[in-house]
Amino acid sequence: MPLVRTERLTKSFGALVAVNAVTLEVEEGSLHSVIGPNGAGKTTFFNLLTGQQAPTSGRIIFDGRDIAGTPPHRIAHLGIARSFQRTSIFPTLSILDNVWLATFARQESWRGLAWRRADRYPELTRRALEVLGEVGLGEKASLLAREISHGEQRQLELAIALAAAPRLLLLDEPGAGLSPDETQKMVALVRKLKGRYTIILIEHKIDVVMTMSDRISVMHFGSVIAEGNPVEIQRHPEVRRAYLGGVVAP
Amino acid sequence: MTASVKAWLAILAAVVLLPVFVRHAIATEIWIFAIFGLGLNLLMGYTGLLSFGQATFFGSAAYVAGYLLKFYGINVFLALGLGIVVGAVSAAAVGYLCVQRSGLYFIMLTFALNQMFYFTAYQWTTVTGGEDGMPGIPRPSVLGLDIHRPLAYYAAVALLFLFSLWIMKRIVESPLGKILQAIRENELRAEALGYDVPRMKLAAFVVGGAFSGLAGVLYAMLFGIVPLESIGFVFSGNVVFATLIGGSGSLYGPVIGSFVFIWLSESVSSMWARWPLLLGVAFVIVVLFFRGGVVEAWARFWAWRAAHRAPTVAGADAPR
Repeated sequence: MPLVRTERLTKSFGALVAVNAVTLEVEEGSLHSVIGPNGAGKTTFFNLLTGQQAPTSGRIIFDGRDIAGTPPHRIAHLGIARSFQRTSIFPTLSILDNVWLATFARQESWRGLAWRRADRYPELTRRALEVLGEVGLGEKASLLAREISHGEQRQLELAIALAAAPRLLLLDEPGAGLSPDETQKMVALVRKLKGRYTIILIEHKIDVVMTMSDRISVMHFGSVIAEGNPVEIQRHPEVRRAYLGGVVAP
Repeated sequence: MTASVKAWLAILAAVVLLPVFVRHAIATEIWIFAIFGLGLNLLMGYTGLLSFGQATFFGSAAYVAGYLLKFYGINVFLALGLGIVVGAVSAAAVGYLCVQRSGLYFIMLTFALNQMFYFTAYQWTTVTGGEDGMPGIPRPSVLGLDIHRPLAYYAAVALLFLFSLWIMKRIVESPLGKILQAIRENELRAEALGYDVPRMKLAAFVVGGAFSGLAGVLYAMLFGIVPLESIGFVFSGNVVFATLIGGSGSLYGPVIGSFVFIWLSESVSSMWARWPLLLGVAFVIVVLFFRGGVVEAWARFWAWRAAHRAPTVAGADAPR
């Protein structure tokens, strides 16, 4: 049974149909990539899944429930977490606090919300440090988020999403703006997450996508024009024409 | 000794020494205004919500508690408790409307609603006294202790201030404090993490309103009158001003700001009628060079001194 399924999910802005009747299924525990040229509607598709934007029509079935149009903070509590394409962190807070806030949000009860000192939640702090260690920021926990390099901020971006212990993890170009070296580190990191989380990945680096994904959906002008495993996608004539071959529709 | 312990010692020293050097009424007003500033700072400094309507809560509490003190002779604790409740409830109502919008529209809403409360107080002369204010607010004794003597009232207010500061310290160091800062830094991400942003902002309003309410009642009992200005937008602006000068977003900023603002306005104003000019200059300096107010200037001074001292010490040692 798929963990998440969209049914003819559509989002239009006036005359522009950014996401056009996208039907897609993601199996529990799999890594499903969404590729496509810039402006194909991939990020808008993520925004619909996480509630940042409400769909114009269509359904999003997550774990048997229709969650289309649910506000973002509720969707987070259902267990969907995302990383952003453009780094979205809390710059003047410490790196530990950045991640700690994600662990606290997912607590069953918010006991002591306005009274207990934030550093008196040993279990959450331990979990936050563990996630930071996993992405390679363990040593820098006490620095402010704005003090670290862009590459490290991308790692932090990922750590914030992981700290929520999500059932569905949406990664929006985790490698955006990274140097070749940093990209390799990021790819290794995402590879380690595979199997432990159900992941939907948006990525431009096609070789990365081909080697890592269980399934790939190709978006073009808002629609899914092809879906399959990496081998099928590489052979797909329309995909080659629209994306891999670099020939853009007139 | 940690920075926090040092700050508390400095504040305790100030509480003890202030009435020696400054007129008691002014010294009392400084701590009252500091409580008012603590409430605003949670909104402005920690949550990033510039409220230009804090006098709404301050004034409403002062009028309600003042009225009941004057005509029904309620006791001090009830008056203070009521003030806190009125401050919190009016802040909940105003905040509920304001958090629906952000940026400039948010600021204008806080301001517009403040004006609404102001003109209500202005028109409703039978209760509020309109332009003349509501005079004759008594200062009942506390558990048999007479607080009519200025120093006695000063002590009572100073204790309440210290208590308020401790409460605020707990709040800003709690998860809520962190969440509010996260909202200030990046609302979108805070929401994506699972925080109901409007509700958290509302919480900041209610807490800020409760502090304003407490300050309002203490103010009414200090001067024995609720002046119309106490609910006016100039008063709202003053507390923003004072908090910015002291350092918004730092726990002790509004305390320092209140000291600077009240002391300047009460002492310099008697010597020089154009004293707001001085405030204006201070404000410009803060905005241009020390966005973190006196607190930041102080930290930068010590950092600068440490940097310039190290070589001199080494140089002095060298010849020997």
